[in-house]
Amino acid sequence: MPTREEWAVVLFTLRVAALGTAMILPLGVAAAALLAGRHGPGRTLLDTVFSLPLVLPPTAVGVVLLDAFARASPLGRALAEAGIQIAFDWKGVVLATSVMSFPLLVRSALTAFEEVDPRLVGLARTLGCGPLEAFFRVTLPLAWRGVLAGSVLAFARALGEFGATVMLAGNIPGRTQTLALAIFHEAQIGHDERARVLAGVTVVLAFVTLWSAEVVGRARTRRAV
Amino acid sequence: MIRLDFEAPLARFPLRIRADLGAPVTAVMGPSGAGKTSLLDAIAGLRGIASGRIAIDDDVLVDTAAGVRVPPQRRRVGYVPQDAGLFPHLSVRENVLFGARGATKEVAHAIEALEIGPLGGRYPGNLSGGEKQRVALARALATRPRLLLLDEPLAALDVPLRERIVPYLLRVRDEWATPMLYVTHNVGEARALAGEVLLLEGGRVEAQGAPLALLATPGLSREARAGIENLFEGVIVTHDAGGGVTRVRLAGGLVVSVSIAAERAVGSAVTVAIRAEDVLVATEPVRGLSARNVYEAVVRGIERGPGDAAVRCAVRPDLQEWLARLTPAAVAELGLVEGSRIWVAVKSHSVRLASAPPRREAKAAAPGTAAP
Repeated sequence: MPTREEWAVVLFTLRVAALGTAMILPLGVAAAALLAGRHGPGRTLLDTVFSLPLVLPPTAVGVVLLDAFARASPLGRALAEAGIQIAFDWKGVVLATSVMSFPLLVRSALTAFEEVDPRLVGLARTLGCGPLEAFFRVTLPLAWRGVLAGSVLAFARALGEFGATVMLAGNIPGRTQTLALAIFHEAQIGHDERARVLAGVTVVLAFVTLWSAEVVGRARTRRAV
Repeated sequence: MIRLDFEAPLARFPLRIRADLGAPVTAVMGPSGAGKTSLLDAIAGLRGIASGRIAIDDDVLVDTAAGVRVPPQRRRVGYVPQDAGLFPHLSVRENVLFGARGATKEVAHAIEALEIGPLGGRYPGNLSGGEKQRVALARALATRPRLLLLDEPLAALDVPLRERIVPYLLRVRDEWATPMLYVTHNVGEARALAGEVLLLEGGRVEAQGAPLALLATPGLSREARAGIENLFEGVIVTHDAGGGVTRVRLAGGLVVSVSIAAERAVGSAVTVAIRAEDVLVATEPVRGLSARNVYEAVVRGIERGPGDAAVRCAVRPDLQEWLARLTPAAVAELGLVEGSRIWVAVKSHSVRLASAPPRREAKAAAPGTAAP
């Protein structure tokens, strides 16, 4: 069983993943909504930019983030003057995991939005809805399952993020150490047993997350359609 | 009066429409791909126009010269698409209330007139095709539209169901003073509902006029006629339950057997519809054929097109004109020319009874009496 310190790591990991997912949810939905139904070079460019974190080495993303948010950078200095530290702080963990999981949410939401029959959205317009109201009353309710699936994927991805987190936030026990970092740490110092216990915890967390999303999706499906 | 004078780009050709529509119901007809749905979309504001003007009376919906483009949500144009287009995540009641915005009286009236009150809590997934159309109609009416656009609302339904929905459409026409544009392929529906037909082809107005007069328009292209049927008015004379046929006497005296329609009273007026494709042609008197309806006729003209030929013939005794659609091979083989003496045959199953055209008295009668 995990020790008390290890439980603290689990809780910390869940917290930063939840916070990060909550932060990117409105942004990802907005990004997907703006991209949906559009074609052309702008769409392709944004699609590509949003997907970069999926294919780049996470450490490379971490380096970019570190450059942007370190105290030496203008942004980092401005934030520091406002009393906000990102690098080597728990906020850095949230930022790194959010950036890494953002594309999963956008892609999933985008697919879901584009599967909504545009004729239904048009009908909502003839029934008195402006574009935004039609989105919230028709598109989003019909695509919510895809948005949920994307959020769950993003959350699960955040739970396991390693490379970007370690670059931006470091591996500071009690401060920025998530489960993924703790597993690496324990294995490095030869505590294979502890690493295995923590790995077991991640399996359980990931399983419960994905499984509950599946159950929620099914239950709603049966009722509404 | 709906004033249309605009041009909009479509995939294959531009939609160029110029017409003033003043009838309470205008049927929009024409072959598939003629631009019928695009016309409705342009009026609803779901499709942009390149240039021109669309107005309802003096209310401009779009006028490119004046830089006016009213967005769809402010046009107050009700739209009922072919598949009803109900929101699947909302119950029937929520669908009807979707655009109502406090119009309680209209909602109640629409729910009552279309008899969908008992469906209130159900979801569109559990409704029949006819129920869906009624809900979609109520949803559109609940917004107090000043124009209703109906895009083949009955096309997805089978024939008996269509006939059960038509009375609701008649009721809407007669109880709401809302003008309608009604896209249909079915001349029976057009005749039952519409005072005028707008015939489109290739994105242009091919003809405009009274439903029956339009059928006789000389020079009407073959494509524009596609799907247009033989239509005759008649009166039910007998039901032969054992034989499974109902006999209808047409205005000219010809008696036609149709599949039994015992629910219609003897003496009631009906419109008989026969698809041109369903008319068989023989050059000798027919014997030993299962078809119940065989009549002598004279060929009046043959319009040839790629792949088929439309034979216009005058059927005895009254020389009413029928249209038979044959392959060019059959025309050649039978040696049909103008003046040929022929026999036309139709199975009773191929003869459909459409609702009779509404009478003037029904229009003036109290609300609710227009529907049986």
